[in-house]
Amino acid sequence: MSFFDDFLAKWREYRKPGYYERFDYAWTMTIDLDRCTGCEACVTACQAENNIPILGEAELAKGREMQWMRIERYWEGEYPDVKLRFIPMLCQHCDAAPCETVCPVSATYHNQDGLNAQVYNRCIGTRSCAVYCPYDVRYFNYTDHQWDKPLDEQLNPDVTVREKGVMEKCTFCIQRIRQAKDSAKDDGRRRVRDGEVQPACVQSCPAEALVFGDRQDPESRVSSMMDNARAYRVLEELNTLPSVVYLKKVDGNAG
Amino acid sequence: MASNAVGLFRNPDAALAAAGRLKAAGFAALDLISPIPLHGVEEALGKKSSVIKRFTFFGALFGGLSGFALAAGTAVLYLHPTGGRPIIPFPPFLIITYEMTILCGILGTVLGFLISARLPVIRERVYVPEAAVDKFAVTVSCESLERAQRAAAILREAGGEIVGAASSREG
Amino acid sequence: MQAKSSPISYADVNNDIVRSLVVTGPKYYITLAAAISLTLICYFFPWFYQLYYGIGAAGMNHPQVWGTYLASFIFWIGLSHSGTLLSCVLHLTNSAWRKAMYRSAEAMTLFSLMVAASMVAVHLGRPWFIHWSLPYPNQMEMWPNFRSPLLFDVMAITTYLTGSSIFIYMGSIPDFAAVRDRTTGWRHYMYRLLSLGWRGTDTEWHRLGWAYTFLAVLIIPLAVSVHSIVSWDFALSVVPALHLTIFAPYFVVGAIYSGTAGIVTVMFVLRKYMKFEKYITELHFDNLGKLLLALSLLWTYINMLEVFTGWYSGESAELEALEYKLFGKYGPLYWEMILFCAVTPLLCMFKRFRTSFVPMLILSIAINIGMYTERFLIVGTSLSRKYLPDAWNSLYVPSVVELSILAGSVALFCTLFLIFVKIFPSVSIYEVKETLPAPEKGSPQWQATQ
Repeated sequence: MSFFDDFLAKWREYRKPGYYERFDYAWTMTIDLDRCTGCEACVTACQAENNIPILGEAELAKGREMQWMRIERYWEGEYPDVKLRFIPMLCQHCDAAPCETVCPVSATYHNQDGLNAQVYNRCIGTRSCAVYCPYDVRYFNYTDHQWDKPLDEQLNPDVTVREKGVMEKCTFCIQRIRQAKDSAKDDGRRRVRDGEVQPACVQSCPAEALVFGDRQDPESRVSSMMDNARAYRVLEELNTLPSVVYLKKVDGNAG
Repeated sequence: MASNAVGLFRNPDAALAAAGRLKAAGFAALDLISPIPLHGVEEALGKKSSVIKRFTFFGALFGGLSGFALAAGTAVLYLHPTGGRPIIPFPPFLIITYEMTILCGILGTVLGFLISARLPVIRERVYVPEAAVDKFAVTVSCESLERAQRAAAILREAGGEIVGAASSREG
Repeated sequence: MQAKSSPISYADVNNDIVRSLVVTGPKYYITLAAAISLTLICYFFPWFYQLYYGIGAAGMNHPQVWGTYLASFIFWIGLSHSGTLLSCVLHLTNSAWRKAMYRSAEAMTLFSLMVAASMVAVHLGRPWFIHWSLPYPNQMEMWPNFRSPLLFDVMAITTYLTGSSIFIYMGSIPDFAAVRDRTTGWRHYMYRLLSLGWRGTDTEWHRLGWAYTFLAVLIIPLAVSVHSIVSWDFALSVVPALHLTIFAPYFVVGAIYSGTAGIVTVMFVLRKYMKFEKYITELHFDNLGKLLLALSLLWTYINMLEVFTGWYSGESAELEALEYKLFGKYGPLYWEMILFCAVTPLLCMFKRFRTSFVPMLILSIAINIGMYTERFLIVGTSLSRKYLPDAWNSLYVPSVVELSILAGSVALFCTLFLIFVKIFPSVSIYEVKETLPAPEKGSPQWQATQ
C-alpha cells in the first residue's frame, strides 16, 4: 500500500507544528546587555546597510518610526539614583511568530534558515502583522521616501528600496547570509563557517555586544553564549520562541 | 392543443372550495394563484412536497468538503510554514470549511428553489394580473377546449367571477 | 396583528408601494444629488489623494498602525448584522411585526456590507493588490494564507454578502411581480427580468416558503459567525487589550445592538419620507425599543465583564491597557460611550418613550455614535499599550482625510439606500397583506375593488 504510506508520511509532515524537523542554519543572535553602551552604532549600520529611509521631523512628530534596530531606553529610579538600561530591539525571528499566521497573502513566512522572511512585493499593506507582533518591531512605509543628495549614492545595491504601503523589518541581513551561503557553495559545498557572516549591526558594534551564528552548531560562539546563566529571551511567557537571546546586565549594586 | 380555464374568486376559501370541486371532477393540472402564500393548499391539491431540502443538504455537503479541500489543498501546493503552526492546522481550516458549507448550502437552496418552482418562466404560462393584487385565481390546464369549458362551468358554479376558457398555443 | 382604524385593503397596499417606486418628487432628487456629491467629495476624493500619497495621509503611526478605517469597517459590518439576522430570527418565530420593516432592514444589511468592504480597500497599503486575498489560480502559483484570521474575514464576508443578497432578492420576487404588472416602459422590463416570470401559484409560494425558511436557518449561524470572525482579527493577536475570549460574543452583541439602532433610524426616515405611516407604526418602534433595551443591558454586562476580568487578573499589561482606555487621554471618549450605549437606552423602559418617534430616532443615533466610539477605542487605544513600554506611543489623532472618509462612508450608504428605495419595494407587499384580513364579498374592500 505504497500510496497509503506516502499519504500517511505526508500527513504527518503537514501536521507537524512549524513543519521543519531541523533548520538548514538556525540563525541566532545574542545580545550582551552588560556590554551594550547604547551608542546606536548598530542602528546606524542597519540604516546604511538596508536602505532604511530617513523619515524626517514631520513624520517623527506624528509618531512614526523607521528603525529596524532600535535601542529601547528604560529609566529606573529617581535622581540622583537614576539608572538607564538599554535594550537593542530588533525582529526576534520567532519560531512561533504571531505575525506570520495573520498575513492574508502569505507575505511573511518562516524560511528554512529559521528566519522570519518578509516578501515586499507580496505585501498588500494590511498591517495586521504589526498589530500581532508583541515586540513592535515591524515598520510600515506610510509614504514613499526620498533620499536627498548625497545620501542617494550611499544606497546598498544588494537591498531593495521599499515603496509605500509595504511592511518591513529586520531580516538578519539576509542578503549577507545569502552571499555567504553562495560563497560557501562556490567553494565546493562546504557549510558557512561560524563568524563568516555577520549582519551589519553585529559587525559594527564597538563593544562586541552582539554575536551572530548558527545555534544548531554546538561549536559556534552563539551556542556558548546561549549557555550563559544570564541568558533570557524577551517576553518568553508569550511562547513566541524568539531567536534573539539577551544576556542580563550584571547589576553591580544588587545584593 | 392545450387549453386553460381560469376563474377569479374574492377570497381564498372560495377558491379552495372550487379547486376541490375541480379535483373531484377529475381535473388534475390545477394551480391556485394568490397574492399571498396560503397554507395547506398543496396538500389539498395533491402536489408532491418540495425537494429543496435535498439541494440544500447536498450543497452544504459539497461546500464542506470543497472548503476543507480548498484550504488544505492550497496550503500543500505552496508550502510556506507560518507561526510554528502545522501546514494543515484544523482550527482555522474548520472555520473555512464552515463558511463554505453555509455558502454552498445557500447556493444549493437557490438552485433547488429555481428548479422546483420552475423559474424563470421562459414560455408564457397562464396568468391573471388581478391575482397579484387582491383576488385569487384558479387555473386549470386541460387537453382540449371542451374539457376547459367544462372546467369553466364548474368554476362558475362555485361562484367565481370573470371565468373564461381559451386554448393556448402551447401547454 | 390588526391594521389601524381605517382598514387597509390589499389594493391599497399595492397602490401605496407602487406609488412609492414610481412617483418621485423633487425632494428625492435633491436628496440623491446631495448624497452623491457628498460621497464624491468626502469619500472618493480623499481616498484618491491617499492612494497617491500613501497611508501617511491618515493619522496612523508606529505602533498604532490601525485606525478609523478599521473601526469604520467593524462599525459597518456591525450595522449589517441586525437587518438580515433579525429578519431571519423573527421569520422563524413567526412574528407579525417584522413584516412591514424587514425588507428595508435587509437592504440596510446589504449596503452596510458593501460600504464595509470598501473600507477594507481604503485601509490597505496597496489596495491595487487586494485580489491576492482571493483564491484564484495564477501564474505565481500563490494562494492566500487560509490560516490567517483576515482570510476567515474574506470568506465570511463574501458568504454573508452573497447570502444577504440572495435572501433579500428571493423575498422580493413576488413583490417584483406585483410591481411588474403595474408599471410600464423601462421599469416594466426591469421588473419582468427581476421577477423571473413569477405568477404566484401555490407551487411557487410553497417552494419559496421552504427555500426562504432554509435560507433563514442557514443565515442565522452565518451572521453569528461573521462578526465573531471579525472580532478574531483582534482576539487572535497577543495584544493585552485584545486577546480576550469575550471578544466574539462582545462583538456579536454589539453588532446586533448597533444594527437594531440603525433599523430604528431607517424606519423613521422611511416612514416620514416615503409616506409609510400606515405600515410602520408605533408597534414596530415599541418592539424595537424593547429589543434595544435588552441588547443594551446585555452589552453593558459584557463591558462590565471585560473591565472586571481585566482588573481582577492583576496582570500588569492588562491593567495598563485598561487604565489607558478608561482614564487615559481617551478617557472622555470611553465615558461618552458608556453614557450613550449603557445609560440613555434605559429610557426604553418607558412605553411612552418607545412609542414616540423622534425621541427614538435621537436615541438610535446616539447609540450608533456610542458604538462607533466603542470600535474606535478598541482599535485606537489597544495597539499603543502592548508589552514593551518603550513602544507605547502618544496619542493617535485621526487626520482630516480619515474623518472625511468616515463621513463619506455614511453618504455612500445613504446613496445606495436612496437608489434602493426606488428599485426594490421597500415594504414587502405580500407580507403586509398577510397581516390584513382577506377581502370578502360584500365588505367595503370588495366595493372598492369593483
